[in-house]
Amino acid sequence: MTYPPYDPDFEAALVACARGDQAALQRIYQAEGSRLLGVALRIVRRRDVAEDVLHDAFVRIWEKASTFDATRGSARGWIYSIVRHGALNHVRNHAREVAADDSTFERMESDHASGAADPCRQVLLSSESGLLYDCLARLDAGKRSSILLAYLEGCTHSEIASRLESPLGTVKAWIRRGLQALRECLA
Amino acid sequence: MKDDMDNNTLAGQYVLGLLDADERAQVEQRTGHDADLRTQVDYWEQRMLPLTSMVEPEHLPPALWSRIERTLWPVAQAAARPGPSRWARLWDNLAFWRSLAATGFAAAMLLAVLGLPGAPREATPRFMVVLVAPDDKAPGWVVQASTTQSLKLIPLVSQDVPSAKSLQFWTKADKWKGPVSLGLVKPGRPLDVTMAELPPMEDNQLFEITLEPETGSPIGRPTGPVLYIGRAVKVM
Repeated sequence: MTYPPYDPDFEAALVACARGDQAALQRIYQAEGSRLLGVALRIVRRRDVAEDVLHDAFVRIWEKASTFDATRGSARGWIYSIVRHGALNHVRNHAREVAADDSTFERMESDHASGAADPCRQVLLSSESGLLYDCLARLDAGKRSSILLAYLEGCTHSEIASRLESPLGTVKAWIRRGLQALRECLA
Repeated sequence: MKDDMDNNTLAGQYVLGLLDADERAQVEQRTGHDADLRTQVDYWEQRMLPLTSMVEPEHLPPALWSRIERTLWPVAQAAARPGPSRWARLWDNLAFWRSLAATGFAAAMLLAVLGLPGAPREATPRFMVVLVAPDDKAPGWVVQASTTQSLKLIPLVSQDVPSAKSLQFWTKADKWKGPVSLGLVKPGRPLDVTMAELPPMEDNQLFEITLEPETGSPIGRPTGPVLYIGRAVKVM
């Protein structure tokens, strides 16, 4: 991946948004919009819903820009959290019974066939360096897969159990122990 | 709520997205007052963020940004396009007026108060208006009123007007039903206006310049897009 993990300009852009600078919001959209749409789409699995989520998230970013607190974390992280939690709230509030639209479904199928969308493979093969990737690579496969399926795909415990063909109780234990192990490794 | 879960695990599960709707709502509510939980949520948000770089970007449909703009700034955006009656909403758009706290606006205001080069100052102005473009807030004109019945409109920038079009100057006080024409304006040229038939100018009175047909609006109300807009400020 070539995208810089952190760009200090996001903080300036949020400060400008809080001042009412509309162009600053557009700069954030131009810089991160397409990846943010990708993040939302992986979770909600429907393009129209993902676009709604991104729309609502940018309205929220604009309205809440003045509440951003740099002592709590990066501006880029704040922006991603708003989009991710918008997507998560959507799927948790609306049971995800509606099938993915055809294009998304086909894409995910073909990704699956090539192995490109398998998040575990991606982590292990990723050229990303960084403590998180090292720590994830050290986890057992079950814990790693569970955490990635949750974070990236928005899967529930039961969906993870079904995807990994493992008992629900086992998945819940993997998540807890996986989080503990990550915390120790990241410390 | 999962009582047996420590804050760090609860926060981790929240950030991973594993909580159901009720649990999510509870965590979000608690982070408002529970500093420890908030810290743990922040911890996991920051730690997991690098994973988003694994997600492939998706093509952004061009209409999506326009939709965001329409939601956030319905009026300013509409005013950028020609069309009747759209100007009306700009008058009432609070977000627009709040957003005027831009540097250019302040500089133009200062210029207006201190006086412009080439603008003769007969008397101390009693009201000032800086007319700015609705989209980028760039100041275009300044109004100086030394009495409540007369004013001078002074250009700050030169401007090209499309052929067969002209600029028309309007004003509206809070209690008036609609704007009243103060006449056509030549681009880049100052204009003296007497408002003998109008009530005395008041604080916060609105002024705008719209793009109209060559001979002015045929209906006595703005029909074209707002090019510049501003409110009167009383000079102390």
